Amino acid sequence: MNVIFQSTYYTLYQAIDERCFYIDFGNKTVRMSLCQLLSLRHKVMNINIEDHFDSDLNSHGFEVLMLCNKAHLFILNTLEVLDLKNLIENGFMEIGLSVRSVELTR
Amino acid sequence: MKDIARQSMSIKVESMDLLNGQIKMEAHASATYLAMASWCEQNGFFTSAKFFFKQAEEEREHMMKIFNFLVDTGGNPISPEITDINHDYSSITDVFESTLEHEVKVTKSIHNIVKKARETGDIATERFLDWFVMEQVEEENTIRDILDMIEVTGTEGVGLQMIDNQVANWIE
Repeated sequence: MNVIFQSTYYTLYQAIDERCFYIDFGNKTVRMSLCQLLSLRHKVMNINIEDHFDSDLNSHGFEVLMLCNKAHLFILNTLEVLDLKNLIENGFMEIGLSVRSVELTR
Repeated sequence: MKDIARQSMSIKVESMDLLNGQIKMEAHASATYLAMASWCEQNGFFTSAKFFFKQAEEEREHMMKIFNFLVDTGGNPISPEITDINHDYSSITDVFESTLEHEVKVTKSIHNIVKKARETGDIATERFLDWFVMEQVEEENTIRDILDMIEVTGTEGVGLQMIDNQVANWIE
């Protein structure tokens, strides 16, 4: 497996023989197809981090994330969400599917 | 190193995000035209209602074209959530003016995606959108012609009835 990008808490790997990707979440490593990785990207990039600083919109400051067709469930705090966003943005740039993720999607 | 990602997906994720936004916009347009058809039916503009039923179908077809393009390119098309559909219009002129405003917004959005696709070197997306660019020219022109006809006919006396009858000329 090749390391594609490593953030503070997470690591994205590419497994060429299996034609898939792995994300090491620290306590668990999850195998993903590109479709599942795209789905994770959609979920993570749609998390409005500003809601974490508004007790009416997100009173607990956590996000519940279900991955790979509900096979995995993660509960992430604000710092972990920010770090996962960072992993996704940079990971997609490293695999050549993104040029400048954030600026262009706005 | 093998490029698994490129082998699985042939467009950039930035284009995919913008196209998903466009899917939502087309779906919103379809729902808006359905609301306009409803208004026209309730206010006695039966030919205009037919026109908007057809427009609603066309917008859904546009949405599906983009949806299928994302499927074909290995992307992640998102089924859109549609809210805030206006059902209140003050007159038939208001209905067509709102339609033109909507079409202009759609045109601007498509042009923006073309520009961004160019910036990122995403030739497939740029070429795919050629059809949409020309389609928008046609759509805007149709609504402008109807608004011109409304202005010439006037809304006094039997004008409203004449306007509704004339809209049939733009139903293909």
